[in-house]
Amino acid sequence: MNMAKGLDFSTDKVLAKEFLSNFADAIGEAKYMNILQEVANRKIRAVQIDLEDLFNYKDLDEEFLRRITENTRRYIGIFAEAIDELMPEPTEAFTDDDHDILMTQRSDEGPENMDGSDPLQKMPPEIKRYFEVYIRASSKGRPYTIREVKASYIGQLVRISGIVTRCSDVKPLMQVAVYTCEDCGFEIYQEVTARVFMPLFECPSKRCVTNKTKGNLILQLRASKFLKFQEAKIQELAEHVPKGHIPRTMTVHLRGELTRKVAPGDVIEFSGIFLPIPYTGFRAMRAGLVADTYLEAMSVTHFKKKYEEYELRGDEEEQIARLAEDGDIYNKLSRSLAPEIFGHEDIKKALLLLLVGAPHRKLKDGMKIRGDLHICLMGDPGVAKSQLLKHIINVAPRGVYTTGKGSSGVGLTAAVQKDPVTNEMVLEGGALVLADMGICAIDEFDKMDESDRTAIHEVMEQQTVSIAKAGITTSLNARTAVLAAANPAWGRYDLRRTPAENINLPPALLSRFDLLWLILDRADLDSDLELARHVVYVHQNRESPALGFTPLDPSVLRAYISAARRVSPCVPRELEEYVASAYSSIRQEEAKSNTPHSYTTVRTLLSILRISAALARLRFSDTVAQSDVDEALRLMQMSKFSLYSDERQKSGLDAVSDIYSILRDEAARTNRMDVSYAHALNWISRKGYSEAQLKECLEEYAALNVWQIHPHTFDIRFIDA
Amino acid sequence: MVGLPYDLVANPLGAVRSTFEKAAASSGFDPNGKDWGVLDLFRHFLFDQGRLSQVPILNGETIRWIQPKTLVRFRAMVQDMLGNEFYVGAYQDGSVWRTNKFRDVSQFPLGDSSPHTQVWERRLLYCVPVPGQNSWTEPSSESVVNQCKDFIPQQREKRRRMDDEAIDDMNMLVSDNGFQVSPSVKKVKEDGCPSTSSQTQDSLSEGYCSNTSMVTGIDKDFLSCLVKIYDSPESDLKLNDVFEFIGILTLDSELNEDKDDHDEPDNGFCDDVMVHLPPNKGFMLQVPRLHCLIHRKLAAPDFLRGSPMMEPKPHFVREMREVLLRHLTVVLGNDGIAAHFMLLHLLSRVHTRVDTVAVGKLSLNLTCFSKESAALFGSRLSLALKTLLPFTHCIPLTLEYLNSVSLAPKKDYETNRLKTGVLQLAEGSHIIIDETQLEAGTLNSVGMENARLLRNLMELQRVEYDFKYYKMEMAADVQLLIFSEAKSNILPADIVMPFQPSSVGSSEVVTAEALEAWRWYLATVKSLPHSIESEMQKVVENDLVAARQADRSIGSHDFNRWLTMGRLMSLSFGETCLSLEHWQMVKELERLRRERLK
Repeated sequence: MNMAKGLDFSTDKVLAKEFLSNFADAIGEAKYMNILQEVANRKIRAVQIDLEDLFNYKDLDEEFLRRITENTRRYIGIFAEAIDELMPEPTEAFTDDDHDILMTQRSDEGPENMDGSDPLQKMPPEIKRYFEVYIRASSKGRPYTIREVKASYIGQLVRISGIVTRCSDVKPLMQVAVYTCEDCGFEIYQEVTARVFMPLFECPSKRCVTNKTKGNLILQLRASKFLKFQEAKIQELAEHVPKGHIPRTMTVHLRGELTRKVAPGDVIEFSGIFLPIPYTGFRAMRAGLVADTYLEAMSVTHFKKKYEEYELRGDEEEQIARLAEDGDIYNKLSRSLAPEIFGHEDIKKALLLLLVGAPHRKLKDGMKIRGDLHICLMGDPGVAKSQLLKHIINVAPRGVYTTGKGSSGVGLTAAVQKDPVTNEMVLEGGALVLADMGICAIDEFDKMDESDRTAIHEVMEQQTVSIAKAGITTSLNARTAVLAAANPAWGRYDLRRTPAENINLPPALLSRFDLLWLILDRADLDSDLELARHVVYVHQNRESPALGFTPLDPSVLRAYISAARRVSPCVPRELEEYVASAYSSIRQEEAKSNTPHSYTTVRTLLSILRISAALARLRFSDTVAQSDVDEALRLMQMSKFSLYSDERQKSGLDAVSDIYSILRDEAARTNRMDVSYAHALNWISRKGYSEAQLKECLEEYAALNVWQIHPHTFDIRFIDA
Repeated sequence: MVGLPYDLVANPLGAVRSTFEKAAASSGFDPNGKDWGVLDLFRHFLFDQGRLSQVPILNGETIRWIQPKTLVRFRAMVQDMLGNEFYVGAYQDGSVWRTNKFRDVSQFPLGDSSPHTQVWERRLLYCVPVPGQNSWTEPSSESVVNQCKDFIPQQREKRRRMDDEAIDDMNMLVSDNGFQVSPSVKKVKEDGCPSTSSQTQDSLSEGYCSNTSMVTGIDKDFLSCLVKIYDSPESDLKLNDVFEFIGILTLDSELNEDKDDHDEPDNGFCDDVMVHLPPNKGFMLQVPRLHCLIHRKLAAPDFLRGSPMMEPKPHFVREMREVLLRHLTVVLGNDGIAAHFMLLHLLSRVHTRVDTVAVGKLSLNLTCFSKESAALFGSRLSLALKTLLPFTHCIPLTLEYLNSVSLAPKKDYETNRLKTGVLQLAEGSHIIIDETQLEAGTLNSVGMENARLLRNLMELQRVEYDFKYYKMEMAADVQLLIFSEAKSNILPADIVMPFQPSSVGSSEVVTAEALEAWRWYLATVKSLPHSIESEMQKVVENDLVAARQADRSIGSHDFNRWLTMGRLMSLSFGETCLSLEHWQMVKELERLRRERLK
């Protein structure tokens, strides 16, 4: 640094001082002076200077800001000097420790010993400082990946995200070495800036030099100043690595208050200074040809991996607002789930609701009602169940994928293991515990051993895992939504047998699933042609056929869902009756049938409420609407649709006449002659029919003069025969 | 160092220096690390003037006598990426700009005297010879030696003689280590282990003397190299790509020999000083470095000897196909249908990826092997494939193997290196998996993981690389051939083919020319484009729908297979468009196969 720059720095110190003493945050508090007061009172050590504050500072000097970002290390010193001058008197009393006693001694002796001329005898400011200065990069914008930090960033303040792969122990790093001379008794100070330093052996004080005594120096460990020091390695996150490349790594140095903040495996955002490692000894002589670099950490932020802690980024909020205004959000979101999987619209809708979930309820007496939806996909091989599962795991911020066969009950819940080093018993969480507050996808659910399956019962209703093994009794939280995939009992669904035989899961387990989806691979010329076309297209054009819509980005999806999850809708009083009657009608229907497809229990009622609540959440609504309940009932109906349609074919009832009988029954039940079109659509969609089929039915029976159709509203009026 | 004109092969650094000085002397010079014209010079020399063949190829054999700081060619696969390295690219020595590009160490020790230094960056790639590379792909070493010995300038005559005498005497290399202190270098040469006064020289020679095993330690067949890449965009070089690097070879070990006396301040973190360089000393010393000037990606045709033969003329390709098919039939004990499938299998490659589907793969599972027939036909077939394909592997799938081997590459955070696994393969490799040796038993967790990896490779042509905290899927393009007693359930292949040899047959003698031709055929035909006309598309679609209507168990998997077979069938005739005839042939083949399966 030449002298011209030195002048600059002194003016910058004034700027720094002004900023520290004058900056006022949003509520008008002098933020940094408050911090300094705390420091003076020995409450905290770290003084974190937010660049964002500097940016918002009323007398913003952009040049000053730029200089700080580009030469951060120098400015840390400048801020430290500024703080030295600004440091207020402590307002609270605290007990003196060794350090303070030493300091008072030193300042007492100070004047008489000061030769003034010898820099090694002058007390360096570091030794007096109780605080550490950090300059934190602005959290606006996207952090860099390790790959993006190039040579031009050396010396600058950067923000980098990555995963911690290694951490060293915390060790002391000498900051100021203090020696005493055996001959003259002077204290000699040596500032250490590198990781390696050459200790002094001869006393450089004036008295020793003039006397030529070559006084022996003794290093005083208690008087020296040490800093906590930790070294860590970070590696690029998998999603930041370009295809066909290997994640890069970077060394991070953590000092003082920033040590012990990270552990291997943590996903971290660091802001810090990108610096070259100064070479020492022979290497330096060979002239810094290969310079290693590291990041001098300035702040550490852990990435949040839960919906609840998901922070919306700048434009996301806007995007969500725009999406929410758009009426068709339910369809749009669900279509964007696994867009490469053809069809299965309703299943995707159900999976979307699984991601959204319903709010947890805690009753006054301490009973908890879970809000997580459990879904089981059951179907013939090759209907893309596993792909759906894997995709959902990718979309969810926290998801664990496992297979029923590959994991024993212990692997799913928790295991007690003996630590090989300490011989202590330790609890190790299994997949379900790891997926706490997330989603656990279990493939090949039917292949699981009976004994393993019992462990899941508790998780699915109580949402805890209880352990009583090897003297440890405890219960771990497993607030997870279970998404299971299973094959029917004989590999393929056998239509000649009853549903209960085919499904082959015990009722106790089945009733815990909010939705049990049966996906049958049925012979259908259209779908076959669709499949053939798709495959030929892929081979011909080397890409998937256009989807006909642009799927939303998974990150947008995640953001929307996390926003939706903050809403906790409730069921209004006027809907209670409606839900109750719907539930009872399902129960009755089941009682009538001799081969029921489902086990309708009180849990089903809860399921309806949960699904409805999830739907309300999607609309950002605080109350559940009737349309939500209808959609919930429709989804429940649709889940067994592929079965019904077969049965209906067997019974010889076509869709049109079935719709007619539904409408007539409903009209008779409510004792009305008029049925509004919206109502009719509601009823029939609950039975799994489409609007087109309803229209067909309306026309056909209108021609038979069974009812009259209003030409504009399509409302139905039965003609009394 | 050397006057103009520069001998670009023997003294490439001279050319680098002179062009840089010329560029630096011109007005408006901006030392920004970009190329200043040296690459064009080399490109012109190597390609326009066709001097590429004069550049010696670096391998375990030639490393013994190739001089450092000369131009070499190195054909290798990118095995690991070690990240960036920052170096002082340009600095001002007095008023003259000098560069350190394409060098390990500075020409002149630069102290604090140089006020203007420019830090540039280069990328480090750890490259190894392509796994499973067959010997025919390498130019015969003799011709190269002769070629290069002719080329070595006369002034090096004496030096080479000394090389021959004491090939592993490391001091030979000191003379070329860029230290321009010639008297002491001379001394080094004479005394073997000299004691010079200067500290620098001391430590230098110490380093060398203690490491005389540097050259001899290199495995002859396995020469790995640290390639330093300058100026090229990151997306150019990908993991597992096969490249020919043309660059400047250096063998200096001075970069890390001072590690011994360097007081390591932190024991728990041994590699922090050498973050970007592999920290293991033994490993470092064995690895020569290559400062890459030009790199080009190699594909299968680049490994063929001699000039590319000719345009694939239809009748010629047809003829070649017949002959090759006959050869395969003989190898497969007169099983003609199996030979047909084998041919299609050998032509397969992943030509595109759509979502999760790797389109174009065609793995083959030959069933109905007994232990004896597997041994007989297996070895014969693997031998035949070795002579036909550039990269081949054999995996004997035993329980012990599955339970112990590490198939997937794994990141070792202790050394900061990617430990290679069996499945880290170059594009277009061929693997034979012999399942007949598998016996009943239990798999441990390693075995489970390995079985899963193999299955993933078969189904998706992807290999998960283990980075401990997360796994990264890398796309692969590997032809898989499986021998098994019955249909393999561990390794679900695209085609399951009961193998029915009718005669043991003696292995025929194949002429070298025929082999050359077949290699050419396989490499060329494989990369032809392919399309389906809309008329044909209708026919295919209808066939597919009809097949699915007839048999519900047929799914998209089978559709994909048929279309791939159709593609490969027409390619095998050298045609780029699916014709009805070839589609019928595919259907007929499938019918015959189904019959056998019954």
